[in-house]
Amino acid sequence: MKKSAFWLLSLLLVMSVFLAACSGGGEKANTEKEPKDDGKASGEVKEGGTVTFGYTQPFKGVLSFAYYEGEDDVNALQFMHEGLLKVNDELISEPNLADYELSEDKTKLTFKLKQGVKWHDGEELTAEDMEYAWYLIADPTYEGARFANVAMIKGAQEYKDGKADKIEGIKVVDDYTIEVTVTEPSVNLLENIWIYPEPKHYYGDISSKELPDADQIRKAPIGVGPFKVKNIVPGEMVEFERFDDYWQGPAKLDGVVYKIIDGSLAQGLVQNGEIDVIEAPKDQWEAIKALDNVNPVEADAMSYSYIAFDWGHYDTKKGVVVSDNKKFQNKSLRHAMAHAIDRQAFIDGFANGLGKPLNTPFPSVSWAKIDDSEINPYEYDPEKAKKLLDEAGYVDKDGDGFREDPEGKPFTINFDAMAGAETSEARAQFILQSWQEVGLNAKLNGGSLKDFNLFYDTIEADDPSVETFMGAWGLANDPDPAGIWLSTDKWNMWRWYNEKSDELIKKGVTFPEDASKDVTEHRQEVYNEWQKLVNEELPIIFFEQRVDPWAINKRVGGVKVTPFGTDEFHKWHIVE
Amino acid sequence: MLQYTIRRLIGMIPIIFLISVVVFTLAKLMPGDALSGKIDPLNSDPEYIEEMREQMGLNDPIPVQYVRWMSGVVQGDFGDSFVHKRPVMELIGDRLPNTIILGISALLITYLLAFLMGRYSGRFAYSIGDYLISAFNYLALAIPSFVAALVAIYVFAINLGWVPASGSIGSGVEAGTLEYYLSKAKHTVLPAIVLGAMATAAYTQFLRNDMIESSRKDYVRTARAKGTKESAIYNKHILRNSIIPIVTLLGFDIANLFGGAIITETIFTYPGIGYLFVESVNSRDYSVMMAIAMMLTILTLIGNLVADLLYGLVDPRIRLS
Repeated sequence: MKKSAFWLLSLLLVMSVFLAACSGGGEKANTEKEPKDDGKASGEVKEGGTVTFGYTQPFKGVLSFAYYEGEDDVNALQFMHEGLLKVNDELISEPNLADYELSEDKTKLTFKLKQGVKWHDGEELTAEDMEYAWYLIADPTYEGARFANVAMIKGAQEYKDGKADKIEGIKVVDDYTIEVTVTEPSVNLLENIWIYPEPKHYYGDISSKELPDADQIRKAPIGVGPFKVKNIVPGEMVEFERFDDYWQGPAKLDGVVYKIIDGSLAQGLVQNGEIDVIEAPKDQWEAIKALDNVNPVEADAMSYSYIAFDWGHYDTKKGVVVSDNKKFQNKSLRHAMAHAIDRQAFIDGFANGLGKPLNTPFPSVSWAKIDDSEINPYEYDPEKAKKLLDEAGYVDKDGDGFREDPEGKPFTINFDAMAGAETSEARAQFILQSWQEVGLNAKLNGGSLKDFNLFYDTIEADDPSVETFMGAWGLANDPDPAGIWLSTDKWNMWRWYNEKSDELIKKGVTFPEDASKDVTEHRQEVYNEWQKLVNEELPIIFFEQRVDPWAINKRVGGVKVTPFGTDEFHKWHIVE
Repeated sequence: MLQYTIRRLIGMIPIIFLISVVVFTLAKLMPGDALSGKIDPLNSDPEYIEEMREQMGLNDPIPVQYVRWMSGVVQGDFGDSFVHKRPVMELIGDRLPNTIILGISALLITYLLAFLMGRYSGRFAYSIGDYLISAFNYLALAIPSFVAALVAIYVFAINLGWVPASGSIGSGVEAGTLEYYLSKAKHTVLPAIVLGAMATAAYTQFLRNDMIESSRKDYVRTARAKGTKESAIYNKHILRNSIIPIVTLLGFDIANLFGGAIITETIFTYPGIGYLFVESVNSRDYSVMMAIAMMLTILTLIGNLVADLLYGLVDPRIRLS
């Protein structure tokens, strides 16, 4: 007996020491915080200094636009290289390193490069560097994912297939002028064509296949951007220093450090200044936003999440979707399921309010987004949902609390969502309960969430158990819905076939018949019609558009946040 | 002994073969592949994904894929990482030094603490100090390493600012300078302590129990009877005998040393083998994942052999045959 009492006592002792240590640390944090927020509000621009840009996934180190694959690498690339064009605030391409001109018949695009743009090794950027980039990507041995961005160039496909030893449509006129002929006119050519030059003189004779593993990309990559690479610690950190010959004038900062951290530490590292600029993890946003040394910026993102209904399967032989699933053909059912969900409460509860409900597949930052007054907002209204279901014949006939289908057979809905985040389970339960409250017997497919890979495997394979699922898409700046929405698209995950929709999508990338009409206006009209169609048909429940939270230390100024990340790196500066 | 070693090594071959089948099968049973993560209209299109699956042979029957992989492995070629676009061996080679530095530092901390605590506990068994030490040991054993890591980072890196919170090296230091090594040490010390100090329980209790047992032995009674000083009995006679089981544990630690600490490395963003392993499992980078799994398998087998050999060396009563 005596022994066990001893045990308990000693345990208590150890615990109390432990707890005391913890609370001591807490107090220390509070006292440290106070002097920090003195004189931060009004500051002056200071020359020099270094800013640390944080990210929460390790980078692969493929530092070339033609070969990189993930956001992890492009976060480093953005500091050191630029394209011939860039996207402006209206999400339309405009001249950057080059001016462009489109011929009368819209098939010939001429780029005129600015003179005096230097690579980091001092060589001048020439038209050959752009030609070289297109050749790298069209090379038969190229293993990257960018061929779609050069496929429209005349002769690129033949070159890739080894049928031609030159790409017919590329012509270097002089050092600063390059002409491209495309196979057919397209309204979004500027958004789709590859615009990142690669340093031909620097890569030398390395083949397109071996480049991604070459030191010229791995260890000492170069670009024409405001910062040049000084040091790379694989997977951990890239150090940049100012490039004095940058074509828009030298940057204000001495350097930038791109640093990988663990997401769970974001708040602490922003607080103690180890990280200056970071896209904050959403679950920590409440705490990070409140930090004294942080400028919180919330930017509408080009992405949205959705709950899809499963319409059928993809016919691989014919290459087209077949909407042969009878379950969700009733439009009132789909409308009712949308009205049953309180999307705003979901966003407030699970994403710290970082998001907005949306009702078409275009986020509000897109120029093609239809005015909200013209579409059905699908506001949260469980009574309306119940009414719609009653009218459609989905009523509870056997008194078990759940509705049966119009034929009186039991009606259940399988729901799939991805696991991963801490709140994944709760999110899924929220959706299920919303449906259950209007009398629909919804449950998790297989009783559990699926991890990312299993989720997409199951859905892409058109597994018969899949009935509804929650997913998300990130979008490019051009609004063209092809790639996801055409009936021939493999990524039409919900397998929705609609001729009218296909027709409008194709019409959206054609030039207006009346040549005097503004192209953007014409496209806007077409896309408005398409948005009204999908909004009414509701093949998927459009859920929310994302808002990206950025934490920027108050000592850093000039950081521009766009729907795609941060920008204008040469203007970043230290505020003192 | 040489004969024994050779026999053991030959005996490993079928085990390695069987494990390779298991590792490969388990890897292939996981849903998804390195290309599932590429579902993104911004960056690629479905044709590209199909083309790459075909090119990488992911559409071939599993046995064909296994034979292709195994024939490479036998020649020491683990293939290329799809995600990193580099040969797997290079990738592992890059990360190995970090992991070994961290592993050795952690092991030294474990041994040092366990030695001191075990010696004290063994000599003053059932004292308050002994209980406190056991309490600490079991508490440390019970606390999950990610909790320990987060608490340590929060207290020592973020609030006190003594050490950096993540990474293996600071910015702006040049390789080869004194500053570089200091920075490296500074970045390693916290993860090493978290790893090392939390794993003392087994070693401490081994040493303690062995010392208690030895102190009841005849030769100790004889020494006492002769009037040998108590401290000399413990530090010279008992300790020397009780260290033997600890030394043999070294063999088992070899695999740990190279395998890295998956959770600790991830939280500290410390680019070692453990971190690479998690990363490649998440992105279904099969070649990397299988290479690390195979490496750990072989090291564990070798570690067991080393443990047996060491036992024979330090303890003359054991004969290997």
